[in-house]
Parts: sequence; structure tokens; C-alpha cells
Amino acid sequence: MKIRLINGLLALLMFTVASGASVADDDALVIYSGRSDKFVKPVVEAFTRETGIQVVLHSAKSTALLNKLRVEGARTQADLYISNDAGNLQLGSDLGLFEPLDGKLVEDIPANLRAPDNTWVGLSARARVLVVNTRQSRTAFVKSVFDLADPRLKGRLGITNSSNESFIAGTTVYMLKAGKETTRQWLQGMKDNAEGQVFNKHSKIVAAVAEGRKDIGLVNHYYIYRHLAKHPEAPVKILLPDQGDGGMGVAWNVAGVAVSKFSHRKEQAKRLVRFLVSREGQEIFAKVNREYPTRGDVAADPDIPPVSSYKVADVPMAELARQRNATIDLLEEVGMP
Amino acid sequence: MAVLLHKDRLLSLATGGIVTLAAIPLLFVAYTSLQLNASEWAGLWSSRMPDLLWNTFLLVMLVAAGCLVLGVSAAWLIARRQFPGRTAALWLMVLPLTIPTYVFAYVYTSLLESHGWLGRLWQGLFGEGVPVPDLYNAVGVALILSLSGFSYVFLMSYAAMRRSNPHLEEAARIQGATSREVFWRITLPLLRPAIAAGLAVVTLHVLSDFGAVSMLRYQTFTLSIYLQMTGRFDYEAAAGLSLVLVMLALTFLVFERFFRSRQRFYFGSRVKRVTPRHASRGELILIWSWLGLIALLAFVLPLLWMLSWSWTAWTREAIGVEFWGYLGNSLLVAFAAATIAVFAALPIGYYYNRVRSWLSALYLHLSSIGFVLPGPVVALGALTFILAALPALYGGLLALVLVLVVRFLPLAVQSQESALQQLTPSIEQAGRLLGAGPLENLRRVVLPMIRGGMISAWVLVFIDVMKELPATLILRPIGFDTLPVRIWIEASEEMLELAAPAALLLLVGSLPAMWIVMRGEKAR
Repeated sequence: MKIRLINGLLALLMFTVASGASVADDDALVIYSGRSDKFVKPVVEAFTRETGIQVVLHSAKSTALLNKLRVEGARTQADLYISNDAGNLQLGSDLGLFEPLDGKLVEDIPANLRAPDNTWVGLSARARVLVVNTRQSRTAFVKSVFDLADPRLKGRLGITNSSNESFIAGTTVYMLKAGKETTRQWLQGMKDNAEGQVFNKHSKIVAAVAEGRKDIGLVNHYYIYRHLAKHPEAPVKILLPDQGDGGMGVAWNVAGVAVSKFSHRKEQAKRLVRFLVSREGQEIFAKVNREYPTRGDVAADPDIPPVSSYKVADVPMAELARQRNATIDLLEEVGMP
Repeated sequence: MAVLLHKDRLLSLATGGIVTLAAIPLLFVAYTSLQLNASEWAGLWSSRMPDLLWNTFLLVMLVAAGCLVLGVSAAWLIARRQFPGRTAALWLMVLPLTIPTYVFAYVYTSLLESHGWLGRLWQGLFGEGVPVPDLYNAVGVALILSLSGFSYVFLMSYAAMRRSNPHLEEAARIQGATSREVFWRITLPLLRPAIAAGLAVVTLHVLSDFGAVSMLRYQTFTLSIYLQMTGRFDYEAAAGLSLVLVMLALTFLVFERFFRSRQRFYFGSRVKRVTPRHASRGELILIWSWLGLIALLAFVLPLLWMLSWSWTAWTREAIGVEFWGYLGNSLLVAFAAATIAVFAALPIGYYYNRVRSWLSALYLHLSSIGFVLPGPVVALGALTFILAALPALYGGLLALVLVLVVRFLPLAVQSQESALQQLTPSIEQAGRLLGAGPLENLRRVVLPMIRGGMISAWVLVFIDVMKELPATLILRPIGFDTLPVRIWIEASEEMLELAAPAALLLLVGSLPAMWIVMRGEKAR
């Protein structure tokens, strides 16, 4: 009986080994996706319907996937990389992992929302904004993100932990616009105001502000509308910071796509990029998450503030990668939770 | 004699081969940290080390204390008292092993939100003004890790209590010791080796835990290493921190072994088993309120949470056939890794048991590396090695399975070693004298004797692989999602109704393995 058991185990092992080869369909495009499945799937499915090209989504955190791409080098099975953070995209580009795309392919996307050498292209944009509880007036003085360091907000401020990609990207923009020292003091003030309690999700900040546990929070814009879609009566509103004369404007970040330099299916991969920057692709990709389509001629969700209605901080997206370690150094110096 | 020597050399070679494979991640870490120069080391040392050391140390101590209280008390009550529902209690104390730490963390953070079950209960009891406590601190993380780890201490001390010799306790009682004195001066000291072994497993889990600490943002070595690696792409700093972590853990292991080696108790062969006393009515209330509380927090509440969200998912028709695929993937990986690990661990324990030398001890300790290094580091080390040396394996399932074997090999070695200790050379020689060849001897004498140890090793590895997240996340073949991977992806997007069914399936998928353990426990 024992012999039979051992034989059975061996057979299973052989099966394991054999099935290892058949896991990935050879013809399918492989996307390393750092963006939530549910936001990528609709557009990918539309692409497959239109072209018949199968796509496999390999999802994980953006940064972990970029590490994987870096270590794999030429042996990677990925054809495309999707990230929610321009910093990651530009870092991959600086590491020489991505294929420069033909300028014609991506000409419909504004130049400041893609890599200078077109190694990646932005697909949707998010704004770093403030969420405010409408049933209080303690935050009436807040006009700029830097006001979040004001001691009047002690215990009333909601921020994410400082390893959050959006938090890091936003801080990089502020550091580039206002200088290191101002940003350091700002972080210190926010750290005091947070009283050691930070959130691990933006959605929880919005919920806390809606419930009155916090008065104000620093979030990406779509979290507010996602909450409002579920709870239309929630007492929260968006506040666009740093507007008016001399204001640095709202920090933006983009989610985007890059084609792997080592892909064996570059033609199909470029077809997917073409689809993603097309009107149809843009409609699906940006709108499932109420983000701004990067293509100027595709309208954003009617609920969110129109792009033309406010000022955006003029920091090139590529800088988000170059300054990332400096930002993390600053966050660590302050001991941001 | 010549035959024996030859056999030992073969054994030593086999052990050396397996250990070398297992040590590849360590070599990667050592090599990468060599790239750090003195000033970078100094920077690392002064900027991060003190906090990390303190955080990690504090967490280990708190979790050890928590597991000690929960595990030993439950084991004593169940081993020494006869009461209705005893088998159910036994099950309830080990079932938490089927829930990964990150699921615990996730369940409890969502329960403690102001609109969660516990949050509302809290506000009902103390009013809205008193803020609901949260878990983003050492105590919170320790609570989560204690709930998910105390079962190891329970299992080992329960088994030891069932085995322990009642004569010593009786003798003490005859000498006039009160039952409290008997417990503190006889029962507990006799249990020390078992408790130490249980705590060692718990501590190694704490040191390498990634899921709970990253969800609760508690900066331990493992989390900090992960952030260095992924946030900054700073592999050198990550490797430097890993090396320190390995040193810490190896020191701990050597101490633990030293402590245990001086604490072995031998009983005569004709040991009377402890017969549990019937619980009085008062004791019964006490037993069930304590065990009930533990079971509620460590299993029932998380289970209810999973069921409730899975029900939501079911009614929204969000559960598709792909969930069976994830379950199948998880089972496949766990089955393969556990089986290989058990057979790979055999020569290591066997060699150590047979030849006590610095080499066999070194092999034994080196084989523990996988458990000590953080999962992401093991995965990255293996990834680098496979890409350089065995590119054909890359991206396949075999690579993932082998890395998981390396990660959990120590667990298999540890639980087989105790079984191997019963295997004295004289038993084997008796078999040979009676005319059995080496193979027949192995099959008819050695394997049957250590079968129990192999089975429990298999189950422990199986359960840990089922729950494994960080290495699987990095090394899985393209599009190959296991249940933990799905839980992680859905949970990081706040998709409770999709994370819960995956967690529930993980629990259900681990049940057969739990049944194998429990069958062994009840038979005794």
C-alpha cells in the first residue's frame, strides 16, 4: 500500500512539473498589472472582443512587479506593464526596461502626461485633493495643502501612511514646488496633527470624514466620488487646494502603460496600447474609476471637477521617479508614520 | 562497519546537497550585502536598526506571552479535564491554523471600524465618545499574531501533557504539595521542552511574518526589508537588514536548542497515561467560558465574518468558477511542496540523529534559513539564482514549489527530528541481523517508526504553504493565482465580498489536513 502511495505522489509530482509548462497560453499577451483587476479587466475584455487577442493579467503591487521586471531582464514573460504611478513607469524607463513607442501612436496624449522618449504613456490622471466634512466650519481657513500642518487641525486630519504611492508622489510634487524645508515642516505638522493615527486606505479617510471622526483628509479625488456613489447623502465635498494667484496648483499623477523591451509580441502589445489611447479605450479605462482620461477629447465623468476649472501643478511626471528616493529620505527623516 | 561508514558518507552527501540548495537565498543575501560599504552599513545601523530591533523584539516577546497564556491554559484544561464537548474544544483550538495572519489582520481591522460588529459593540458599551481601539500598534499586531499562532503551542503542550508521567505528580501530592504547587513545580517544568518547541515555531513565524505586519503597518525587520526592496529598489540595504535578521534568528535557534538539549526527560517504557478527571459543574462553566472566548476570537468570529461576506458575494453572484481554479492551484502547490519537503527533510534529521558532529549540526541549522529569511527575500534570491543557473525552470510551477520547499523545510526537519530520536542504531541493527537488506530495513523498520513524524511534518508544511503569500506573489507562473494571492489582491482593493470567499475556501481546503492531525491526537 505504501508503494502505491509513493507512486501516487510521484505521479502527482510529474503532473505538477508538466503542468508548469502549460500554465501560460503562448499566444496571449501578458500584462504585469499594478492596477486593480476590476479597473483593467473591462478595457482588456473590450480589446479581446475587438481583436481576438487573448490577454493574461498578472496582478500584484506596481512596485513589486517593477522589481520583478528588473530582475527578470530579458527573460521576462511580460509584454506590457501597467502602473498606477508615473514614478514607477519612469523608473522602469530609466532602467531601460521599456520599448520607446512611435510618436504617432501616442500623439493624442499630451506630452506632459507621457515619457519624454515615449517609453510609457499616461492613460488616466488622478488629482490629489482635500475631502472636507460639510457639517463643520473648523476647516474654513484651509486653502492650501500646507494648511494641513496647522495645529488647529490637531486630531482632525486624516492621511494615509507614508508608504502609499499616491502619498509619496504628492509629497514629491510639493517638495519640487515649495522646497525641501517647507515640505519638511509641513510633514512634521501633519505628523503632529495625525497623532500617530494614519489610515491604510484612502477610502477609510473619506468614510472617517463623512462620519465626522475627522474633519478633513488628503486623498485622490475619485475616492470621494466612489463614496458619494454609495452614500449620496454623505456630508463630504471636494476642496481643490492651492488655487488662485501664486497657488502652486493641484498635484496630479497618472496611471499608464509601457511595452516591455524584451517582449516577443511587440506588435500585439502596441495594438493594445493603440486601443488604450483610442477614444473607446480611454472611455473605459479612465471612467471605471472616475479618473480623468489623458486624451483631451474624451470627456471626464460629469461628477468630477472639469480639468479646465482648476490649476494643476506643472511638475513633469518623469520627476516623480527622479525625486522619489529624496522624498522617501525626507519622510524617513521626519519619521512619518 | 565499512558498509555503515559508506552509508554515512552517502547520507552526508545527500544532506549536503539539500542544505546547499536550501542555503541559496542566504548566499544571495550575503553576496548582495557585500556590496554595502562601511559607511552604508553605519548609516543603516544608526538610522533604522535601533527601532527595528526594538519593534521586532517587543513583538516577539508579546506574541510569545500571548501564545503561552492561550496555548498552555487551553492545553491543560483539555488534557486534564473530562467535559462535554471536549473533542469540539480540541478542534476549535487548532482550527485557527487554517486562517492566515493577514486574514486575521484584515478581519479585525474591519470588525473594529466604527460601523463594524466590534466597533458598534464598543460604542454601545462605552458610548460614542470613547474611540474604538485600533490595531496599528505593537499590542494590536501581537494580538493578531497570538490568535493565529497559539495553536502551535497548544498542540505541542497538549501532546506532552497527554504523554507526561502522572507518577511524578502523584509523588508530589503524597509529599503534601497543593495542586497549585504541583502545577507550577512539576507539571509546568516537565512541559518546558514542548512549550519551548511550540514557542520556537511561533517566534520563527513572527520573525518572518509579512502579511499581518504589512497590513497593520508595524515596522519589523521583514516589513522594512520589503519596503527597502520594493519602495527604493535598494537591494543592498534589504540584504544587509536580512543578514542581521538571520543572525538574530540563528542565535535564537541555537539558544533554543541548547536550552532544550539540557531539558530532556525520559520515562520508563511502562508509562501510565494521565486519565483526565471529570470536571465539576463550576469548572465546566469556567472551562467553557475561557475556551469559548479563545475560540470566539481565534476562529468563530473570523469564520462568521467570512460567511457573512461570502453570502453577500453569493447573492450578488460575484463568485464564479474561477474560485475553484484558485483552490485547485493552492491545493496543488501545497500538496507538492509538502511532499517534497518531507522527503528532503528526512536525510537532514536522519544524519543529525546518526552522526553528531559540527557538520551535521551546521547542516541542521543551515536548513532553517528559509524560515528565517523574509518570504520576499527568499523569493528574490531564488529568482536571481534560477534565472542565472536554471533558466529553463523559470516561470514554471516547479520553481515556485521548490522555493516553497526551501521556505518550509525547517518545519519539516523540526517535526521529523523528534520522531527520529526514537530510532536508535540498535533497532536498525536488529533489523539487519534478522536478515533485512538496507532497503527492506528502511521500508519495514525505519519508515514505520517515523511515519507519525513524517505525517505531522507533512501537515504542518501543507498548512503553511496553503497560507503562503509573499514568495508566491513574486514567483507564481503568469496568471497562476492561488487563494492567498486572490485574498491579497481583493483585500488591497477593499473588495471584501471577493476576499472573504477566497479566505473561506482556504479554510475548507485545509480541513482534510487538519483532520489528519486530529486523528493522530485522538488516537492517543
